[in-house]
Amino acid sequence: MINALRPWLRLIFHRRNRLLIGAFLILLTLLAGIALLALSGWFITKTALVGLLIAMGVQATIELYLPGSAIRLFAVSRTVFRYLERIYNHETVLRLLADIRVTLFKHLALVPRSQRSPMTGAQWLSRLLTDVDALDTLYLRLLAPTALAALVSVGVIILAAAVFSVQTGVLVAACLGLSFVVATGAVYMGTHSLAQTQSERQDTLRSQLVQHIEGYAELTAAGRARNHSALLMQQAEQLTSEQCSIEARAGWHLAGSSLLINLAVVVALWMGFSLYQQQMLSGPVLVLLPIALLGLGEVYGVLPDAFSRLGGTVAAARRLNRDTAESAEHGDVTLAKTTGLATPENGDFAVAVDDLQLRHGDSQPLLARPLSIKLKPGEWLGFTGRSGSGKSSLADALSGLINPSGGSVNSLPVAYLTQQTYLFDDTLSMNLKMANPEASDADLWQVLDLVEMGDRFGGEPAQLDTWLGSGGNFLSGGEARRIALARVLLSPATVFVLDEPFTGVDKALRDRICCRLEQRLAGRTVISLAHSVDALAGGTATIAL
Amino acid sequence: MAEPEARNASALNNGGTSDSSPAPPGAEVKQWLKSLAKAHSKSVNSTAVAGLFAGFATIVQMTLLATIIHQGLVEKVALTALTPYFLGLLATLGVRALAQGWQTTLASRCSKQVRQQVRQQLNDCWEATGPVNLNQSSAGTHSREWLDHVDALHGYFARFLPQMLIATLLPLMILAFVFWLDWLAGLFLLLAAPLIPLFMALVGMGAESLNQQHFQTVSRLSGQFLDKVRGLTTLQLFQQTGPASEVLQQRSDQYRFITMKTLRVAFLSSAVLEFFSSVAIAVVAMYVGFGLLGYIDFGPAADLTLFSGLLALLLAPEFFQPLRTLSQHYHDRASALGAGAEIFSRLNASEPIGPRVHPAPSQDSPGVMVQDVSVGFGSGFGKNKLLFDRVSFSVGRGQALALTGPSGGGKSTLLNMIAGFIAPQSGAITIFDKAPGQQAFGWLGQKGFLVDGTWADNLRLTAPQASDNDIAAALEQVGLGPLLAERADGIHSKVMEDGQGLSGGQSRRLSLARILVADYDLILLDEPTAALDAESEQHIVQTLSKLKQQGKTLVFSSHHTALLTLADRVLQVVNGRLQAAPEGGHYD
Repeated sequence: MINALRPWLRLIFHRRNRLLIGAFLILLTLLAGIALLALSGWFITKTALVGLLIAMGVQATIELYLPGSAIRLFAVSRTVFRYLERIYNHETVLRLLADIRVTLFKHLALVPRSQRSPMTGAQWLSRLLTDVDALDTLYLRLLAPTALAALVSVGVIILAAAVFSVQTGVLVAACLGLSFVVATGAVYMGTHSLAQTQSERQDTLRSQLVQHIEGYAELTAAGRARNHSALLMQQAEQLTSEQCSIEARAGWHLAGSSLLINLAVVVALWMGFSLYQQQMLSGPVLVLLPIALLGLGEVYGVLPDAFSRLGGTVAAARRLNRDTAESAEHGDVTLAKTTGLATPENGDFAVAVDDLQLRHGDSQPLLARPLSIKLKPGEWLGFTGRSGSGKSSLADALSGLINPSGGSVNSLPVAYLTQQTYLFDDTLSMNLKMANPEASDADLWQVLDLVEMGDRFGGEPAQLDTWLGSGGNFLSGGEARRIALARVLLSPATVFVLDEPFTGVDKALRDRICCRLEQRLAGRTVISLAHSVDALAGGTATIAL
Repeated sequence: MAEPEARNASALNNGGTSDSSPAPPGAEVKQWLKSLAKAHSKSVNSTAVAGLFAGFATIVQMTLLATIIHQGLVEKVALTALTPYFLGLLATLGVRALAQGWQTTLASRCSKQVRQQVRQQLNDCWEATGPVNLNQSSAGTHSREWLDHVDALHGYFARFLPQMLIATLLPLMILAFVFWLDWLAGLFLLLAAPLIPLFMALVGMGAESLNQQHFQTVSRLSGQFLDKVRGLTTLQLFQQTGPASEVLQQRSDQYRFITMKTLRVAFLSSAVLEFFSSVAIAVVAMYVGFGLLGYIDFGPAADLTLFSGLLALLLAPEFFQPLRTLSQHYHDRASALGAGAEIFSRLNASEPIGPRVHPAPSQDSPGVMVQDVSVGFGSGFGKNKLLFDRVSFSVGRGQALALTGPSGGGKSTLLNMIAGFIAPQSGAITIFDKAPGQQAFGWLGQKGFLVDGTWADNLRLTAPQASDNDIAAALEQVGLGPLLAERADGIHSKVMEDGQGLSGGQSRRLSLARILVADYDLILLDEPTAALDAESEQHIVQTLSKLKQQGKTLVFSSHHTALLTLADRVLQVVNGRLQAAPEGGHYD
């Protein structure tokens, strides 16, 4: 368990001072609350006893000013500390939230795409988000309350041993120790395996649901949709039952731990009275300890729930560790090998491909025969082939994203337009400058005009700062494609690999863009790949895959 | 590969938003949640009763504590004589623990019932909506609604609703008791009592804005994070991962700054609650102390004893506790409202297929009859514009009809109508003298689909009674025999073994095998050979001609010459008109 959490704990403890101050504020809040009640109890008992003496005519005095102000002080300070504690710790949580995401992103960014293949798809991404969320509350829900519960308990036990008797201290310690175990470790032991299978079960059910929806037409046609959804209901029922049993278990542990705390109250009271009757303890002090113990209920109350989620958190941490494990092996993912031709002895070639062969795992070779090409700067080449002919894999290999299974690829620095368009949830300008951070606004407008998107954004109030929403809702598929093309064109690279550059762009526009491309990229090497000749970026030579 | 598909996940992290219809106004969602609560009021109430019982046990516990202390200190009763009280105290503690434990058990049981019911509602809604409308939202969206959104209702029914009842009744119970003890101490609590509705509102407002802010921040941050992860390849290609993580850091700092500004105010409301409960304790302590000293000659102060004074003090925090618990559960309400809005709009916005016009059992043709059928464009907008206006055609039993024509011409719409997946606005369709969808038929959509299981699982999905031999024969027929021969366990091996999937053509052939093994009379196929490799194409054509020889009725859309020649008749569907195709076939 600790092993899985270790990297995350290390990350959290990076902010040690913040955590300590936050925990200290919680401690002050708790102590003020306990002291308020305990002191009030002491005060009432004291006044009652003194009042009795006075009523009997005995001369008795009582100091009222100090306890009175202490009670007021604790009442106010509890409020103030609570407020400060919540503000401060919430800020800590938000900082940790960002730390976790930024660190995780940095790790993922180190994993090259070829190693990231299992980490794709909506399923993985939503899993990733849930897992990250699980780690967010590790500090505030689990670490801080557990540490404070232990600390406050030890304080109260010392109080019991010092003011009452060692024996009382031992008995109270036994009750509280047991209560602590019931509220923490025992909950974890009782729920962690369930909590871990939970997320697996949930994943299974989720993919079954996706299959159910995707196959809904076939299932309906066969008259099986209802049976299949009954099956899903059954699975959900089991999942929910398990969730409920975790929840109920945490509830029973909470009840058990508060029972044990109350038992400590009873023990303290009993022991107190026996000491009192031996005249070893005064009445008001006797009341102090049981009431202080009552206040511990609040400290222990949050623990069982937090520990019932720990199993899930550990599982989440394990998955995240696995996803980022690759990054440890690959220190740097700069596409160094693509610059292999920068040295003069490679001659005048911009791209040199020798006997290239590609395959996924043990499958059949993707290319019908090994490929060898040599391109000089300024030479353009087109590849055509239907889907599944290995076009995109070839483009990936040319750009150094994947390693060939045979032969070699060498080229000058490559700018690569992938088949999938991805625009970031950011401004137009930020999206474009990704390819060339030094590009000026004029450069941006130039490439936008080239793909005939200049007028579109010229008409937007925010111009280059127009926000391209997530999922690209702002743009149609063809428009997004043109922006992605414009982005690649900004790159200072000398070799351009364009995979299906004109998806969603109509013929007339495609021809106009092609024309301008030839001007802009004159003297540079362009390899374009498409399903048919007229979807290529131009050039004279074409190879059919 | 992943990137377009991964968009589905973005709706998740945006919390509320989804690609379905816009969320309905809050009032309707609240109404819907209320009606669910009403349907399960027994469970909600029994949870609350357990909680109230635990609260009652707490009052008894405090009473016994105060009694023991009073008896021991004031009346000087010997410890042994106090034993019955101690035993009573232990018994009360046991009862209290049992009630607390029961409360959570009942609570989770209640939430389970509600969640199962809502899931069933969604299932019914899917069935009423039909496959065509269903596919307007992604499978990811549907599964998220069914799984995650329904689960988000949990806290509301398990914790929030029962706590609402407890927070209303328990303080009243305690107040009445304290009044009976000492009306002046009661009055101090009562002074806070009129403020309770105010507290509720304050807590609500505070917790609500806390939730909104917090979840907004988390979802924005997650959105930014997810955006960067999804575009990681692009970032790597442009060597921009470093700057991207800086942007991520900057953005989260901005979000934090804005959030904290709001939260400084939002947390004030919980501080107010804290303040009142602290002050109430302090005031009660002061009043009782001075009263016991005889400094107060007013009201019931003269009758104060250690018992009544201490008990009033011990009950003061209990008076506020239910409210504090409620404020902790407030986020349950917020998440239920958020998730409920999505579910509610799914349940209400989805259009049912609509009433099917049941034809009079007809004439002499027992095949597929389409009579005077009119249908609009898709669903939703443009409903008034007709795609098909009073078209008729028929397919005799055992005949094959091919639909051809440009994409968007309405071929799929016709197939969907024959399947009963969408209903025509007028006109009638009969399949073997029955309404569409009443009898099982074979359907091969444009996308094949696989379940994660063995080959046999995949075929038994729609034909549970099929024997192993039938399954092997069907897979052999569609040309998947050689592939199966490579697998160790034949039809009992996993389809996706070692992470190897099937090609588009192979998975379509698997779907076709599903149809073969089930032996349907009518088979509908939407572009069965589009975008397939030559091998798959050939197997599909062979299989279809064999089905035809077996006397099955086939209706399919296609451009594929080999398939069109297979048909007894070819109709060209152009802009909602049916014409005899130029290649031949007859036309009536």
